[in-house]
Amino acid sequence: MSVPLGYYLVLGAVLFAVGLCGALTRKNAIAVLMSIEIMFNAAILNFVVFWYYLHNGALTGQMFALFAIAVAAAESAVGLALVISVYRHYKSVDVDEMKALKG
Amino acid sequence: MTIVFLTMSAVTVLGAVLAVTLRNLVHCLLALVLFFLGIAGHFFLLRADFLGAAQILIYIGAVAVLILFAIMLTRNITGTEGGRGSLGGAWWLGVGIAAALAGLMCAASRRSGLAEKLPYGATEEGVVKEIGRLLVTDWVVPLEIMAVLLTAALIGAVVIALEEERKR
Repeated sequence: MSVPLGYYLVLGAVLFAVGLCGALTRKNAIAVLMSIEIMFNAAILNFVVFWYYLHNGALTGQMFALFAIAVAAAESAVGLALVISVYRHYKSVDVDEMKALKG
Repeated sequence: MTIVFLTMSAVTVLGAVLAVTLRNLVHCLLALVLFFLGIAGHFFLLRADFLGAAQILIYIGAVAVLILFAIMLTRNITGTEGGRGSLGGAWWLGVGIAAALAGLMCAASRRSGLAEKLPYGATEEGVVKEIGRLLVTDWVVPLEIMAVLLTAALIGAVVIALEEERKR
């Protein structure tokens, strides 16, 4: 009745690649963070998919996905705070202009 | 089931592609919300009800609003970027790397012998109760560490964002 596991694996691979493409090509730091969120979600989707198809009655896959979501939320909060801090310094969020390691 | 999967996958991939390609950042964010909704739909389809609800609450409720605030605080007038041309023609390199990685992962999943696998067994009853029980028994230490991490991230975000103000 339900689709084979391969369909979901292809979906996860495509979503991860789209996110990677955005993270590599976008110039705006916020857009890069959004692309990283897409990659995070593709990975979390794979956790849930493997849980659904291969679980042994254990809930480990779902618990891991839950903790991954919480870590991703913390990451995006700190990342956006960094973007705002960088914007104050450079008056821009263009990643190509962030060249100096010294503040 | 296949129809539902294909429709939801199309919506999810469309949201992701639009979020990556659109020029206006606010439009990107709206496409990203569509993508998050698609992922939540997949969670519901996979009978992970609690994760689907958490996805909607955390990503659409919190992360999307956070990104919107960051866009409003940092954008120039319109929030649009310059054209792709200003990248010096290197953007196709990123697209090529991403396409190669997708092809590699698809080939690997095909060769792994897992691709034809069907679901392990029906989990008709809800798992929310079991997740709640596990969170305060077997997983209580990771839960507490997660609480510390979230507190640290909260304080760290505030300190980082306030730094310049304090120096003046």
